[in-house]
Amino acid sequence: MTPVTTASRRGRAAVDPPKVHPPKPSRPGGAKRTARRVERRWALLFATPYLAHLVLLTAWPVLALAYLGFTDYDTVSSPRWTGLDNYTRLLRDEAFWTSLLNTGYFALIFVPLQTVLALALAVGLNQKLRAMPLLRGAYFVPVVSSWVVMAYVADAVFNPRLGSANAVLGWFAIDPLNWLDSPVLVIPTLALIAVWKGAGYMMVLFLAALQAIPQERYEAARVDGAGAWGRFRHITVPGVSGTTFLVLVLSTITTLQAFEQVFVMTGGGPGDASELTVLYMYRQGFEYFHMGYAAAIAWVLFAVILLLTLVQLRLQKRWVHYA
Amino acid sequence: MPETVLARPLAARPRPRVRYGRIAAYLFVGAGALLMVLPFFAALFNSLKSHAQYIQVPPVVLPDPPQWSNYTEVWDRVPFGRYALNSLVIAVAATVGNVLSSAMVGHALARMRLPARGALLTAALGTLMLPTVVTIIPSFLMFREFGWLDTFLPLILPFWLATPFGIFLMRQSFLAIPPDFQEAATLDGAGPWRIFTRIHLPLVKPALATLSVFTFMASWGAVLEPTVYLTSPEKLTLPLGVMGLRGQFVGNDQLVTAAALMSLVPILVLFVVAQRYFVRGAMSAGVKG
Repeated sequence: MTPVTTASRRGRAAVDPPKVHPPKPSRPGGAKRTARRVERRWALLFATPYLAHLVLLTAWPVLALAYLGFTDYDTVSSPRWTGLDNYTRLLRDEAFWTSLLNTGYFALIFVPLQTVLALALAVGLNQKLRAMPLLRGAYFVPVVSSWVVMAYVADAVFNPRLGSANAVLGWFAIDPLNWLDSPVLVIPTLALIAVWKGAGYMMVLFLAALQAIPQERYEAARVDGAGAWGRFRHITVPGVSGTTFLVLVLSTITTLQAFEQVFVMTGGGPGDASELTVLYMYRQGFEYFHMGYAAAIAWVLFAVILLLTLVQLRLQKRWVHYA
Repeated sequence: MPETVLARPLAARPRPRVRYGRIAAYLFVGAGALLMVLPFFAALFNSLKSHAQYIQVPPVVLPDPPQWSNYTEVWDRVPFGRYALNSLVIAVAATVGNVLSSAMVGHALARMRLPARGALLTAALGTLMLPTVVTIIPSFLMFREFGWLDTFLPLILPFWLATPFGIFLMRQSFLAIPPDFQEAATLDGAGPWRIFTRIHLPLVKPALATLSVFTFMASWGAVLEPTVYLTSPEKLTLPLGVMGLRGQFVGNDQLVTAAALMSLVPILVLFVVAQRYFVRGAMSAGVKG
């Protein structure tokens, strides 16, 4: 398509001018070059917001973090160079390691649970169900709710004295649990609530992937005598593996930056039982004004996100099948 | 099984078998959906209880009688309208900015001769791995340098500089437009701006709607950035206002719950009106750029 238009454009340009000005054959090429330069300028103009983004919201933060990580900075007096002090302090900082362990524990429950549940729900919803939009809508209500709203809605369920969760446990003669007030249960409960909020979104991702699997594969498998489980195992699971990968990466990044949930719901408590790394960084930076130390934590976080993404990218080759 | 009863009069139909799989799917998905929304109803009931009823043990499910005055009391006791207005101003400004800038950048990446296009795309992927929580400290220092602390600008400006999600979404939609329109318009002498506004933009309206609802939602519910940047009580956004209520209304949790639910109303309305755009947006995140 493009060659034709280019040819016709060139043809027209080549035909028209010589009639008027026979001795200027180089003109059309020059005009075209000018046109291209103008176009490029327009393109740069269009991209300006993002170029500004890269400078102000990407390059500057990364460079500033790199510098601040080597300094002691209380936001009032100017930063004082301290070399690797922040990082050696981090290594010995028990509260920091606790926060990392908490974050890892949270991710270990949250990521697999959300992925499996979202896939199961998508398989369930991937039929011509009559109430489909309504059902899908129900799963999206927690997705669109802010964490502040979720905090109060979750309190209606997990409040140890007044919540419905303990009431339901009571029906089965199970002793009430302390949920978010319990140092043991706080992380699993937070992960459960995060799954409740996030599963609907991931489910839609899986739903899109399921609808892209050719129906003939299932028909062929059925003819070959494959049961429902066999079809799920050998057609559905490989068919959505690309999306599974995406969901895993997205969920992992979500947990590593999970701030709002703990900030709103537990504030890191009870004690330090739900102190996640981002919350710890926030406290160091904006409550104690140890900006240099907080910058060092941010670096560690960024490194962990990068590392995990790279590991997942590497592992992806082993099990992801792109159709 | 109700299905078999129903199927009997239609015996002539081929294969009148009971679809156990279908019933199981309905049950599973239906039960899940109930679990998702029931807590919202529980919270709604809580918000209509008197305080005595709210703290009653064992808890009662339904408020008796429903105390609708809880909702008006929130408006009387805190500047709830002010918070809502602040949130609305910020969310609208952020949405307009993100839609405009992401559309322009996405267009440049998809349909224009942009130098270093590949590098810019990779950079956009990279910024996805640099979440706000990581960059909040240098951003805070930068906006302090600008003298923008305790203004709405730090909450709005980043959206005017195009978000990675917006760029990918818009680029994807612009790529899907066949090149014929652009070529025909170019032959007719239309410049890049005209092609963008008159020809391409109208063709990506669904993506624009999707990006609008997602940006609005993100801005409306944000906690971290407003907490860091806003300090004056009259400048707080709804989430901060609701969180602040907790301290002011000690022992009046039914009021705080009412306030939280009220802050959800605009988003729920938006969701009901634009459900398909939410779903489309969620799906487009799965499309590889």
